[in-house]
Amino acid sequence: MNHASPLALDIGDLVKRYDTGTEALRGVSLDIKAGEFFGLLGPNGAGKSTLIHCATGLAQPTSGTIRIFGHDAISDYEQARLAVGLAPQELNLDWFLTAEETLDYHAGYFGMPKRERRERARELLDTFSLAAKKDDRTRTLSGGMKRRLVLARALMHRPRLLILDEPTAGVDVELRLELWHYVQRINGEGTTILLTTHYLEEAEQLCDRIAFINEGVVVATGTTDELAGEYGVTSLEDAYLGLVGRKELSRAHIGTDVG
Amino acid sequence: MTAAQIRFFSLVRREVNRFLKIKRQTVGAPLLETFLYISVFGAALGSRIDKLHGIDYVVFVIPGLIMMSWAINAFSNNSSSILQQKFQRAIDDQLSSPASPLELLLAFSLGGFLRGMIVALLTFAASSLLVDLPVEHVLVLVPALALVGFFFAQVGVLIGVRAEQFDDVSVAQTFVLQPLIFLGGVFYSASLLPEPFQTLTHFNPVYYMINLVRYGFLGYTEANVALSLVLLSLATLALFAVNRHLFVSGYKLRA
Repeated sequence: MNHASPLALDIGDLVKRYDTGTEALRGVSLDIKAGEFFGLLGPNGAGKSTLIHCATGLAQPTSGTIRIFGHDAISDYEQARLAVGLAPQELNLDWFLTAEETLDYHAGYFGMPKRERRERARELLDTFSLAAKKDDRTRTLSGGMKRRLVLARALMHRPRLLILDEPTAGVDVELRLELWHYVQRINGEGTTILLTTHYLEEAEQLCDRIAFINEGVVVATGTTDELAGEYGVTSLEDAYLGLVGRKELSRAHIGTDVG
Repeated sequence: MTAAQIRFFSLVRREVNRFLKIKRQTVGAPLLETFLYISVFGAALGSRIDKLHGIDYVVFVIPGLIMMSWAINAFSNNSSSILQQKFQRAIDDQLSSPASPLELLLAFSLGGFLRGMIVALLTFAASSLLVDLPVEHVLVLVPALALVGFFFAQVGVLIGVRAEQFDDVSVAQTFVLQPLIFLGGVFYSASLLPEPFQTLTHFNPVYYMINLVRYGFLGYTEANVALSLVLLSLATLALFAVNRHLFVSGYKLRA
């Protein structure tokens, strides 16, 4: 018998059609192995966030299946969601709460006992240099601090699958590198990571495998080299430009445009 | 505590924490408002008004004011809290947690219910210091007030979930709830109204709520107590069922 450990995320033929008629996902299939660092790349509006929302209960799939560590995200949502931590793209913090309360309530929603919540919150506030701001309301935090807090919140309940939806959009160089180091470390410790980003060097540096998604369909999956090979180019960026049909923008052409 | 209990307690704690953090606005202001009503309608005008059905006017009005404060606060807390969290998308933190739709609905409901209860209890305590307020039928009063609180907590959740902008909440409060509550007989006895208004009042659900609460305090009612309790329970259950359906289907909460 095959006793292979279940996939961290197993998506089969996922379709999401909004009430407006827009078909954001048109039969997406994807699998992410436990322990993998997986990148999801695609242009704005490709369906990356919709896919993430379907996996975390924020959007309801029209059809298809989503399993998280073997638990169906719809029929067994309690177990499925316990395994996932989501750091969304928008900084969706509650203005009324302090930084520490934000972490404490989140862990409470995931059933973590008080003492454990306190310890975990202290640990993450220290890790993300937020300890001095723990009693400040989230509204008063800087953009970078809010970004750190959203990430700390996602990690509070020790998820086995961490989903990072464009975590480094608009953050400064130090924070970006800080995040890279941190997520690489927890990936090394066993946390599976799904990352969406527009920074291709970020995906190249961090991800074991990458999927290209465009117009609601996964068009290619593989390592950086495999994707470059598939598009007959030498870099991930050129492969991406091949995907979106903008090969003429390749850096290889810069400097040769004039004349 | 089990994980499920911790989860539910955290959801409720968040709602209570929200209104306590802005208690000047959420508890202080409604208390002041109630006292303005008592001063104007009770002390100032009341001295010029004869007794109503053998009861001092100010005493006749206070049960309705207590009920009104519970109702309005339960409504406005839940509608504002849900809309504000939807607006900031902070509600996604609860929606993507393992909490069930029923747990989420009950937790949001309890926030407003408890805020209304606090304001109503403070109004009751303070009124008792100012006037001699009897409690004739405590076994009717307690369930009646709790049902009214839960009914308006459900209305608040319903409006909050449906609302897309803050205007939607204030329109519901100003153009539907306030008129229903005022015309339900908080400040007067419906038996004093000329026709057709007296008959029309009987179609206002708040009329039965006020009569139940007034009966609980003063022993005076114009409506059948048992029938009113049954109807109020049914209406509350129906509203709860509608909200449960919205939470299960994810209406305007999950895309």
